Amino acid sequence: MTIDASLSSSQAAKPAPRRRWRIAAWAPLIVLVLLCGLITLINPNFLTFGNMVRISQAAMIPLVLGLGATFIILMGSIDLSVEGGLTLSAVILSMLVLNGANSNAFGVFGILIVLLVGAGVGFANGVIHVRLKIPSFMVTLGMWFVGVGAANALLGGMAIRINDPMIRSLAIERFLGFPWGVWLALFCLLIALVIQNYTRLGRYIYALGGGEDLAALSGIPVGRVRILTFTLAGVFYAVGGVLAAAQLGLGNAQIGTGRLFTTVTAVVVGGTALSGGQGSVLQTLVGVLIVVVLSNGMVLMGVPPSVQIGVQGLMIIAAVALSIDRKRMRIVK
Amino acid sequence: MVHKLISGASGRPIKRRDILKGAGLIGVAGVFPAILTRPAFAADKPTVVNSIRSLSNPYHATWNKGGAAFAKSVGADYVTLVTEGNSEKGIADIKAILAKTGGNAVINVDPNDSPDARPIVEAAKAAGAYVVTQWNKPADLHPWDHDPNYVAHISFSGVPYGKAMAETLIKKMGGKGGIVALGGIESNVPAIERKKGLMDALAANPDVKLLDYQVANWSATEALDKTNAWLTQFGDQINGIWAANDDMALAAIEALRADGRAGKVPVTGIDGIQLAVEAIQKGELAGTVAWDPYWQGGMGLAIGYAAKTGGFDPSKEPKEHREFYGKGVIITADNAQEYYDGNIASEPKMDWNDIWGRVTGQIQYD
Repeated sequence: MTIDASLSSSQAAKPAPRRRWRIAAWAPLIVLVLLCGLITLINPNFLTFGNMVRISQAAMIPLVLGLGATFIILMGSIDLSVEGGLTLSAVILSMLVLNGANSNAFGVFGILIVLLVGAGVGFANGVIHVRLKIPSFMVTLGMWFVGVGAANALLGGMAIRINDPMIRSLAIERFLGFPWGVWLALFCLLIALVIQNYTRLGRYIYALGGGEDLAALSGIPVGRVRILTFTLAGVFYAVGGVLAAAQLGLGNAQIGTGRLFTTVTAVVVGGTALSGGQGSVLQTLVGVLIVVVLSNGMVLMGVPPSVQIGVQGLMIIAAVALSIDRKRMRIVK
Repeated sequence: MVHKLISGASGRPIKRRDILKGAGLIGVAGVFPAILTRPAFAADKPTVVNSIRSLSNPYHATWNKGGAAFAKSVGADYVTLVTEGNSEKGIADIKAILAKTGGNAVINVDPNDSPDARPIVEAAKAAGAYVVTQWNKPADLHPWDHDPNYVAHISFSGVPYGKAMAETLIKKMGGKGGIVALGGIESNVPAIERKKGLMDALAANPDVKLLDYQVANWSATEALDKTNAWLTQFGDQINGIWAANDDMALAAIEALRADGRAGKVPVTGIDGIQLAVEAIQKGELAGTVAWDPYWQGGMGLAIGYAAKTGGFDPSKEPKEHREFYGKGVIITADNAQEYYDGNIASEPKMDWNDIWGRVTGQIQYD
């Protein structure tokens, strides 16, 4: 319900002068609705309020990670450091708040430190990428391993249990039936929407993705925009780390495993083009919901475990095939 | 020419290339300690080497501690090699250490994948080093075919322990009800064996129904999502959750907690990590099995070291000492405190001379 409402409002707010109605732009949403319908037919439990809450719980972390990744992909770059930033944030958080391994209890202050760490990781990504002119793919690949490696070094392979009631309440305590973490993720979505639609940074990101040469010629500080965007993405990954640590109640170096794949899948399935310039954070919300509903639905429908990963792969190809605008593409690599 | 160079250098003292060079130097300097682990002064004693998957999981981190403790007990140089899930790296690192020590080494390896064991054993034999493998090896590779260098292979049968955990769960449920099960990566031998143990226990308890079996690939994140979906699908029909490892079991508990049912639905794991033992003490986990990686990391070296230094002759040992199942420790609420005090709160005390103390039979192949 919230989704539909917010989607239509953004369509109105979008600074797009030419609005030709294309089915492709709506394909992800149509896929999501069809998917929900299909699963409900097979297992009516899908539409219960309890399951909606569980889907929102499963979606909150991919959503926050996806928001960060969307900005990077809109810019035409790629960020592989999702797992590095998330793991490092979760591990540092587990060491700063009330925990089972040391006597720290920084509480909210610990979360702020973790957000700064995330920003630092993103800033390092951006600076290395821009100043040393290394492709974002390589820089962030390196930062992925640096992040996970640093988390490893901090913990020595062990896991730390989080006892801080405030952190745990993100996953356990509820407001209007939904855990606080879900509200936090929605708040992040709101911030991302504001950045995308109402700030100069948001417009510059689209400009860079649409054509960096033109953007540079028209006086956009390309380097600064890139660094700022990577920093912003790093903060989102840190929020993801906080949520992941809250959900599992611990921090360990494996907490991020598999998150990169889900994140990039969600962004792309939502219809944001890997080539940059096209897409939005709301489309990422739809993409995240498709991925989460699909994996939830396959368990509900009783799809055999060995087939599930294959179905996910087909889903990715189908969603991208539906949402691509072929008229604008001359070359496919 | 000369003038140009100087002005260039003074005008822009730091170039990107210089930064890159600097970064490169730092990188190279960082790699050095990994190569020159320790100067080979104590060359009379064999270097003892553990080759494991990574140091990022509690299991292998504890394995490494056991290896270090054994090395300290005999005063030998200790080296840890990490494959990071890469078979080529694992084999190449072992070859490098064999070359560095001139074959005066004892290697205790958890091969990244079964086929890796053969080149590792052959390289060790060619160099004159002694090797003990654990968990993974091809079924047709036997220590007695590579006397005396391939000392032993140690594994743990997942069947009896998977079964023991299922029985613990069923007992806790009062002998009837519905359970759901979280499995490991489908092609992994331990995952297959543990599942078989679960099925054996279910066959013996017809009042217990397996509602669903899902593969969560040993991952906490996946286990959390699968358990959440089950809570929708089966709701109160779930009376117990069986998980093939502790990470997945702990994640299932968190899913139950978000539903307000943690501690009410019994859950079992396998592996015996610290957080699992603590969860048993809190009454949220019904049981786990500790493989004792501390023992694996130390005793694998101890067996190889004894053979290398003339403590026993591998070729004269019976086959059940060359390929054997080790012993797991079943932990439930009854002995969790005792296990915690003896193995987690304090460094475990091991008799590294009792090399055959945990042999529980020769490995069987289907």
